[in-house]
Amino acid sequence: MKKWWIRPSIRVFSAFFLPILVPGIITLFIWALPGDPASNICPPEQCDTAILAKEFNLDQGAWVFFSDWLFEAFGGDFGRSWRVMQGVEIQELLGDAFPNTVLLLLFSLIPITIGAVLGSLEVIRSKWDPILIIVGVVPVVVLALISAAIVEINYAGSNLDVQANWARICMGAITLGFADAAFSGSLIGFRDTCTQEKNQRYVGVSILRGETVLSNTLPNVSNALIGQYRARILHILSGLVIVEVIVGINGVGALLWKGTLTQDFGLVLATATIFAVLSGGLLIVQAILECVVAMHVRKAPSDVRLAESV
Amino acid sequence: MSIKRALGVCTALGVIASAVAVNVQFYDENLPGSLNPLYAESMVDFRAQELYFDRLFYRDPIDNRLDSKIVKRFEMAGATKIRLFLEEGLKWHNGDELTADDICFTIKAIMDPKTTSARAKAFRKSFTDCQVEKNSVAVIEFPEVYHKPISRLNFAVLPKKSFKSTAILPNTEFSTRPVGSGPMSGAKSTSYAIFKAHRDSSHHKPKIDKMRLNQAQDPVVQINTIKGGGMHGIVSVAPPYRPELASSSEVVMKTYDLRSWWFIALNEKNPMLAKKEVRQALNYLIDRNDLREKTIGVKKGDKESPCELISGPFVQSSPYYNRGIPVVERRYEAKAASLLNRAGLEKKGRSWYYNGEQVRLRIGMKETLNKEAPDLLDQIGNQLGEAGFDRLVYKINAEEWTREVISGKASSKYDMVIGKWSFNIDENVNNLFETRGKDKGTRNIFNYSNPEVDAILERFNAARRDSDAKNAYLDLHAKLSDELPYLFLWKLDTKSAWRKEIRSNIIAPYYYFTMIDDWKYSNK
Repeated sequence: MKKWWIRPSIRVFSAFFLPILVPGIITLFIWALPGDPASNICPPEQCDTAILAKEFNLDQGAWVFFSDWLFEAFGGDFGRSWRVMQGVEIQELLGDAFPNTVLLLLFSLIPITIGAVLGSLEVIRSKWDPILIIVGVVPVVVLALISAAIVEINYAGSNLDVQANWARICMGAITLGFADAAFSGSLIGFRDTCTQEKNQRYVGVSILRGETVLSNTLPNVSNALIGQYRARILHILSGLVIVEVIVGINGVGALLWKGTLTQDFGLVLATATIFAVLSGGLLIVQAILECVVAMHVRKAPSDVRLAESV
Repeated sequence: MSIKRALGVCTALGVIASAVAVNVQFYDENLPGSLNPLYAESMVDFRAQELYFDRLFYRDPIDNRLDSKIVKRFEMAGATKIRLFLEEGLKWHNGDELTADDICFTIKAIMDPKTTSARAKAFRKSFTDCQVEKNSVAVIEFPEVYHKPISRLNFAVLPKKSFKSTAILPNTEFSTRPVGSGPMSGAKSTSYAIFKAHRDSSHHKPKIDKMRLNQAQDPVVQINTIKGGGMHGIVSVAPPYRPELASSSEVVMKTYDLRSWWFIALNEKNPMLAKKEVRQALNYLIDRNDLREKTIGVKKGDKESPCELISGPFVQSSPYYNRGIPVVERRYEAKAASLLNRAGLEKKGRSWYYNGEQVRLRIGMKETLNKEAPDLLDQIGNQLGEAGFDRLVYKINAEEWTREVISGKASSKYDMVIGKWSFNIDENVNNLFETRGKDKGTRNIFNYSNPEVDAILERFNAARRDSDAKNAYLDLHAKLSDELPYLFLWKLDTKSAWRKEIRSNIIAPYYYFTMIDDWKYSNK
């Protein structure tokens, strides 16, 4: 109990370590692939790989490449795309893609959040669970394909690019928010957690004391609920790549996909690091909330005085 | 409202209507990989680059004549030199003047060994020098006397001012945001490529203001959007959907001559497939009529069939096609069994065994071909399975195809690979069958090597007359139909679909948009 700070500290440490670990692992993969990295950009039969290796800083080994890349990335320079959008600065690509990904993420959190609130307040009883499960049984790929077809049929060929983009983001958010039991899982998960806590003995005692259920249970379930919510967000982040690719949203996930397919390692490093930063950000938020809950739990009540010992 | 005022309003509306830019949108198989002509890898790249750039000389699709939009006239300046006189008023997309300096820069970039481009390598041995005589006069020197020297000048011209040196690498921004002199300017994004009419130069006056290339979606979505008027064209319509579009009154189907033929390449590094009898047996085991019917929907004897069986590395309409070599249309089990026995295979039960082990074939197919011939991979697998061969099937994505299969690195992964080659008018197949070496056999999938075939290909290279070249390739057809490094399948017509509002849209063989200046949009 006294070491409540250990878990948040690990989360904060992980949050700062992830954006270094992820590109490091990717760099190792690049060098682990068969052939030298420059020949993966263009085979020796077609190109002079020695020149390409020098151009992309691939000729001095993995450590030099990684350290140079990391140093420049910290300064905001992710280099240029090697194959997806050759020669274009990756910051420029991310500048166009990142807002779409953030909007998609935020919009898809709406059904998750609604589910969490409804579940916490037990608005929807367990007798509706079969329907909720049916709603959530549709896989994300299927819903994404349907969304893509709807948007394409309605907007293909039109000059309504902005509206089409919004339509894609909304359809993508609906896909992420409901497919694969995202909404239903959030609702049922939060409800079950809160219900279990409510059934604890101390809650009954607190009711007899005239206290509210929420004021007693919330501090105890907060960490679990925060953990669940973070897991939902991570679930959405993992599905985000698929949705962006299928629905045709120009987002960070789509860039990661295209970079992986075309072995554009410059782009893969940058986009994977962005996801690592996002994940790290979530870890920090979770750590902060855990600290707040811990401090609240440990705060002595102000209206209680210890009686003198007899 | 007075008549004068009414007339004024109508005129204004007419001006506004005509001022609204027409944006012609179409689907192509993929987004272009690189817009730098030196780094074109796929047919999508070639088609897009035909809009952004001018080739020095091109073949007119109507009369097959070599023509140029840049060169006003030319003359021989010696046995191995040609003097080009450029048109006046030529401009790049950024407004700079196109001069002889750019022509010579392009040639020097091609010749520069630091230009890491396979296409440049292929052209490199064609030139020795280029000199600028005047602003609009360039003299190109060849290493030897060529029969038709201007046919060697069908490369795109690059702007000197867009590059720091003649060493052009693939990763420059030029590959994404090119500066060309072609009928359209523009760039590609992660989702589409845009093209805007380039009318500031004397040599182009395209009638279409804007175009946009979108990546092909599910064929059903494509069909519905073009019928609904959302999109204007589809570059390649999958065969199962052609009847539906052909019957639409809003859409016109057009032939796109790609001179492409389909094949199954055989890996002779596999000791079993190294035996000619085994390859010949496989040739007799493939029922091409059945495959064609089940995957493309064309039956034997169908009139105006888009799918024509072939027996060698050319389409039947090619002057190089050897009509003396018959096509193996159906399965001949007895013949195949005899050949396999002769090769040392034995049949136990329903399966074939080689050296005591059951034969298993790893078959890969280029993934994009599935849209044109759905389930071809499985159908071929089934036919070989019925014949007694165990098999594993794989789909090969575009990246792996380019990086591994074409570069000859797939020998350890696959025993058979299904693919398609497309050619322009010269149909040079040397790169497919020459023994792989420096600048040779660059598309030899399984590193096939045969000295007799190399000798025939050398004869083709050395030919000074068309008849010599033709005879060499006729012999090649005969030789390859016996050696069978490939099982030759068919030629499948590529059909495009364009809405009827797009008029005068002549589709050039291979490059597609060569005549884009004449295309126009009219909704009358």
